[in-house]
Amino acid sequence: MFLPAVLILYYITPKRFRNLTLFIVDLVFYAWGEPMLVLLMLVSVVINYVAGVLIGINREKKKLTKAIFIISIILNLGLLGFFKYIGFIGETLNFVLPFLNIPVIQVSLPIGISFYTFQTMSYTIDVYRNTVKVQKNIITFGTYVSLFPQLIAGPIVRYEDVAQQLMERKETLEQFTQGVKLFLVGLSKKILIANEMGNLWDAVRDSGAAGGAAGAWVGIIAYTFQIYFDFSGYSDMAIGLGRMFGFEFMKNFDYPYISKSITEFWRRWHISLGTWFREYVYIPLGGNRKGLGRQIINIGVVWFLTGLWHGASWNFILWGVYFGILLMIEKIFLLKLLKKAPAAVSHLYAIILFVFGWVIFYFEDMGEMGTFIARLFGSDGFMMSGDIAATVISYIPLLIAAAVISTPLITTLYHKIKSRPVLYAADNAACILALLLCTSSLVSSSYNPFLYFKF
Amino acid sequence: MKIKNILRYLPTFIFCGFILTFMVFYIVLPKADFSPQEKKKLAEFPELNVQTVMDGKFQKELDTYMSDHMPMRNFFVGISADYELASGRNGEKGIYLGRDGYLFPKPTKDGELLSQNAGFIKEFGDLSSVPVYMTVIPSSGSINKDKLPMNHEVYNDKALIDKFASQLGDKITYIDMTAPFAEKASDRQLYYKTDHHWTSGGAYECYSLLGEKMGYQPVSEDKFGKETIDGFYGTSYAKSALWWVAPDSIELWKNKEQSEGSVSVEIDDGEEEEKKTSDSYFFRDQLKNDDKYTVYLDGNHSLVRIKNKDAKGGKLIIVKDSYAHTIAPFLSQNYSEIIMVDLRYYKKEVSMLAENEGAQAILILYSLDNLANDTNISYLF
Repeated sequence: MFLPAVLILYYITPKRFRNLTLFIVDLVFYAWGEPMLVLLMLVSVVINYVAGVLIGINREKKKLTKAIFIISIILNLGLLGFFKYIGFIGETLNFVLPFLNIPVIQVSLPIGISFYTFQTMSYTIDVYRNTVKVQKNIITFGTYVSLFPQLIAGPIVRYEDVAQQLMERKETLEQFTQGVKLFLVGLSKKILIANEMGNLWDAVRDSGAAGGAAGAWVGIIAYTFQIYFDFSGYSDMAIGLGRMFGFEFMKNFDYPYISKSITEFWRRWHISLGTWFREYVYIPLGGNRKGLGRQIINIGVVWFLTGLWHGASWNFILWGVYFGILLMIEKIFLLKLLKKAPAAVSHLYAIILFVFGWVIFYFEDMGEMGTFIARLFGSDGFMMSGDIAATVISYIPLLIAAAVISTPLITTLYHKIKSRPVLYAADNAACILALLLCTSSLVSSSYNPFLYFKF
Repeated sequence: MKIKNILRYLPTFIFCGFILTFMVFYIVLPKADFSPQEKKKLAEFPELNVQTVMDGKFQKELDTYMSDHMPMRNFFVGISADYELASGRNGEKGIYLGRDGYLFPKPTKDGELLSQNAGFIKEFGDLSSVPVYMTVIPSSGSINKDKLPMNHEVYNDKALIDKFASQLGDKITYIDMTAPFAEKASDRQLYYKTDHHWTSGGAYECYSLLGEKMGYQPVSEDKFGKETIDGFYGTSYAKSALWWVAPDSIELWKNKEQSEGSVSVEIDDGEEEEKKTSDSYFFRDQLKNDDKYTVYLDGNHSLVRIKNKDAKGGKLIIVKDSYAHTIAPFLSQNYSEIIMVDLRYYKKEVSMLAENEGAQAILILYSLDNLANDTNISYLF
């Protein structure tokens, strides 16, 4: 309902005003879920717009630009910190220093704040480094920050990558069609796989000890699929929608689950976030150019922050540190060994480690996490008993489908189709099927949780 | 444009056509207030003003409104049910598709409530001056085990019912249906295929079995004339959304020797409502509705008084759920007056009613599923 209206509005607007239309639409879209917090996003837009312009005007005065830059970064992180982490900080302080008894402030997390804050910061940092031109038009800048397809769940689009497209882009039918196809792929991933995997994961957790170790493994594997198909589905939808409006965003996922090491996994998972941290934290800190010792520290800092970015809770930090340590170990010696090892071994190594990572990622409550980990290793027996077995059996076809779709197999086969008519027939049939099944699933159930709301 | 190019860009037109059609349908199609299939009142268009928009109430309610008034809702829900079935998830909507077109609601789970209800009923039995009989009707899935799909959750009805019965104390005469039903299931269709209720045949078996303990001589089956009504799609059907499943037929059993005007049914929904009367057990008006099961005694009501001048016995009180609507016409052959109360609507004391009416016996008749989920049993006394 929202989309057709937007498309019509967008395409009846003359080219010059299309950014304005998009900007207004974005604000309406955001205000739909968060009527008040849209103001916060506007504040963020204004801060970074002003900072950019001021830095541009005072380019010659090094100290002044530095001061402006630092103030804008503090404001950006301050807003993010206040809205995302204030409750967490309060609780942690109370835990460490109980006698202080600081009142814990509960603020509701504005949707997408982590994503748009990182986007605006990429702009300001790049303006400061003089690698992009200052954007003088606040509408254009606002459109960039609030672009609705990726506002909520990424990818984190760097200003540098879309600066040109923001100013002038040519929407073509070819690109639009590509967009439609990718959007439907993403929608199907989210609705037909991620949501169902979520149901299975919920069922396993609800069954508690009855699932035993077998149930717990199936459950966490279901969650592994859920989070990948959910997140990459959203990214595909965002990129697809972007294309419908003439934008090209970078790829955010590249079959992460076929990785043979954790280093490779993170090159394939949430690429836009990894790029951001590399570009704006890791490399400025010196990257790998200042010796191994310094590199290890840099990896540690980046992964602590990556964990923290994912959520204001200790388990996310633990999760980040877990991957940080694995990456350090791989950097020091393991990667060389993995390269020599048979493919099956390195695949298994990577799969076990990232699946286990999702255990840490899921449980915010350390006690529950402990219980679940114990269950994975047989504390409640190994076999499934009772009704959960019936549920798991009924999900086997979908689990297999999810596993196959996690590999590039289908894409490879698709690209092997050389005959145009067959290709078009396949495209069109797939589109109709995807539309029917997704609409049906959406209509038939109100179950549509949104995993990445927290970030 | 060349044919080739049309095909190439067709996804765009399919997609845009689809979402635009939807938009137009939304705006153009008339909106219903009530969904008979889901048996719920549909959301109304939300109130629009600055206040409701600012606190997000309007947006939330509009979303509900949109999903409630989705065009071609049944069509899409049907597709999703078929897809679930095809991808191995039989029972995703709470209903299993079994063999021979049987639809089974998923098994009843044990819970606190079942024991709690047993406690209430025991206490009621201990205090009652009138003899109390009780029977529990197992679910269709637990009886038609051979018709269940290969992969299904376990039906523990027998264990649950046995445990329940053991908690009733010795004042209540409990009559087991589980074992005889399991035995009879092979010669007779005891339950509808598309509904969770039992058929007239199932109710008749129960009626025959109760007689021995309750002390009446059941009227033999050949005394009844059977009228068949086709095209019954029950609640399991509506829930399953498997629209291609064949309908059931309902049998109305009528005693051939019943004399004209001997039967009267009086429906009493409390003081505010007007009383409704009839000279038949069967309310044929209800056959026009989707849920044809309500043909039996007009569906659920607070209190229903059934009189039969031909019957020899005295007064019987039935405390029940909707399963009783099918068996009451049989019991009415032996009791000159039956007072049927539904605790979901009847909020006065049943023990008082029994005393005031001078009842000869009280029968508590529930299906296991309702017994395990009903929170109104405490209204017995």
